[in-house]
Amino acid sequence: MKKASLLTYVLSIVVLLIFILPVIYIIFSAFKPSSELFSANPTFIPKDWTLENFTIALSKGNFSLYIFNTFLVAISSTIIAVIINTMAGYALSKFRFKGENVIMLLILSTIMLPLEVIMVPIFSVLRFFGLYNSLLALIIPPAATPTGIFLMRQYLLTIPDEVIQAARIDGASEWRIFWNIILPNAKPAIATLAIFSFMWRWNDYVWPLIAINSPKKYTLQLAIANFSGEFGIDYNSVIAMSALAMIPMLIVFLIFQRQFVQGTVDSGMKG
Amino acid sequence: MTKVKKKVRGVEFKQKIVPYMFLAPNLLIFSIFIIVPALIGLYYSFTDVTLFTFDGFDFIGLENYVKLIDNEYFVKAFVNTIKLVIVVVPIMYVASLTMAVLIVQPLKAKGLFRAVYYWPVMISAIVIGIMWNWILAGNFSIFNAIARSLGIQTLKTLTDPTFAWWSVVFALVWSRAGYYMIIFMAALLSIPVPLYEAADMDGASKLQKFMYITYPAIRPARLMVFILTTMEIFKVYPLVVTLTGGGPHRATYFTVQYVYEVAFKEYQVGSASAMSMVMLLIVTIFTAANFFLSKRGENV
Repeated sequence: MKKASLLTYVLSIVVLLIFILPVIYIIFSAFKPSSELFSANPTFIPKDWTLENFTIALSKGNFSLYIFNTFLVAISSTIIAVIINTMAGYALSKFRFKGENVIMLLILSTIMLPLEVIMVPIFSVLRFFGLYNSLLALIIPPAATPTGIFLMRQYLLTIPDEVIQAARIDGASEWRIFWNIILPNAKPAIATLAIFSFMWRWNDYVWPLIAINSPKKYTLQLAIANFSGEFGIDYNSVIAMSALAMIPMLIVFLIFQRQFVQGTVDSGMKG
Repeated sequence: MTKVKKKVRGVEFKQKIVPYMFLAPNLLIFSIFIIVPALIGLYYSFTDVTLFTFDGFDFIGLENYVKLIDNEYFVKAFVNTIKLVIVVVPIMYVASLTMAVLIVQPLKAKGLFRAVYYWPVMISAIVIGIMWNWILAGNFSIFNAIARSLGIQTLKTLTDPTFAWWSVVFALVWSRAGYYMIIFMAALLSIPVPLYEAADMDGASKLQKFMYITYPAIRPARLMVFILTTMEIFKVYPLVVTLTGGGPHRATYFTVQYVYEVAFKEYQVGSASAMSMVMLLIVTIFTAANFFLSKRGENV
C-alpha cells in the first residue's frame, strides 16, 4: 500500500488539533480555581489543580440529582427503544401484511416532522395524558424512532427465514420466537441502537425543555442550560458540569467506536 | 408451487394479526406524539389559542399567518435561519468531505484520527455551546489571550453581532462535520479500486481522479449529506442557547428559539403554531429542491 504524503500528515494533524484542543481546554478549565478561571491571562493547563468547581456544582446545584435523572431516563428509554424498535423492525422485515406500504410511509413521514416543529402541540398532548413534568415523558415518547426501526429492519433481513420457520414448526409461539430467536440473533444491531439511543437521551435538550418544569426533574443538559441562562453564566459550576456531562459519552464512544461508525453508515440519520 | 411463490420475501404467517401487534407500540407512540401533534399544530395555527386557553378559543382563519409578515422579530429570525442554512450547508459539506478524504489516506494511526474527528458528535449541543462560549466570550477568554499574544488587539467576540454569527457557524461545523465525514467515508471506501488503477494507467492526475471518479461515485452520499444538514440547520437551537443566547441584538436569533419563546414565554400558541407550519413548509421545500436538483444533475 502507498504511504500518505507529508502534506496529508500535516493537514490531518492540524484538523486533529482543531478537534481535540477545545475539548481538552474545557476539561482542564474545570480543574482550575476561580482565580485562574477569571484571570486576565488564562493558561491552557491549570497551575493549581483543584476539585472545587465540582464540589460547588454538586452542592449548590443539586447536580447529583440531575445526573441520576439523566441516567434513569437514558437507560430506561434505551431498554424500551431496543425492544419496541426490534419488534417493529421484525414485523417489517419478516412479515408480509396489508397496509405495509402505508405504515412504511407513516414511519418515513415522522422523519420530516422534527420535534422542534411540533413542540407546542406536544406540550398539550403531554398535559392531556398527565405526562407533563414527569420523567416518563422523556422515557416513552422518544423511545420510538424511525432510525431505530430502519436500523433493525436492515439487520433482521439478513437472518434466514428458515430459522424462524423451523421454530414455528416446532410449535413455538410468536412471542417466544421473538424473544428466543430474533433478539439474540440481532445482537450487533441492538448494540448499535442501544448506544445511539443512550447518546440521544443523554444529550437531549428539547424534550426535557418542553416536558419538564420542576427543577427536581431536571436532566443534566436542561440544568446546564438553565444555569447558564438569564443571569449570566455561572462559569464555575457550568464548566465542571459540562466536563462531567461529556465524559460518560466519551468513554462510551472509546469503547464502542466501531458501533458508532457502523450505525452512522447504516442509518445515516439521527433520531 | 404457490407456497414457494409466497415465500419470495419474508415468511407467510397464519396469524395475520401478528405483524400488527409487533408494530403496535411504535405506531401508537408515533401517532400520539408525532402525527396527532402535527395535526393539532396545524389546527392551532388557525386559532387564537394561548397557553392558558386550551379549552376555549376561537377560529380566526389565516390571521396568524398574515400577522407574521409584519412581525419584525419573526422575519428577522426566519431570514437569519435561511442565511444560516445557505452558509453552513456548503461549509459543512466541504469540511466533512475533506476530512473523509484525509482519513481514507494510508495514514499511520488512522483509527486515532477517525476517532478524534468524530468525537465532537458525541458531545451535546448544550455543552458545545458552553465550550465555545468559554473559549471566546469576554476580554479574558483564551481566544483573546491568544489574539493578544499574536499582537492583535482584543476582539469584541460574542458581543459583536458579526463575530457571534460566525461563531455559531463555526461551532455547528465543528460539532457535526465528523458525523457527515463518516457518511462520506463509507461512500469513498465503496468505490472499486480498479477504477483508480485504470485511471493511473491512463496517466490521470490526482485532481482528475477526484473530479472524474471519486466525486461522481459518491453522489448518493452527497445528496444524503445535503438533505440531512439542511434539516439539521433549520432546527438549530440548543447550541445557540448556551453559546450566544440569541444575541447580541438578535444577531443569532433563529426560528426555533423564537417559536419557543412566543409559545412558552409570550403564551401565543396560535401564532407560534403558524410559525412552525411555515418552517415545516420551508424545510420541506428545501429538502425537495435538494432532491430534485441533484436528480436533474444525474441526467445531464
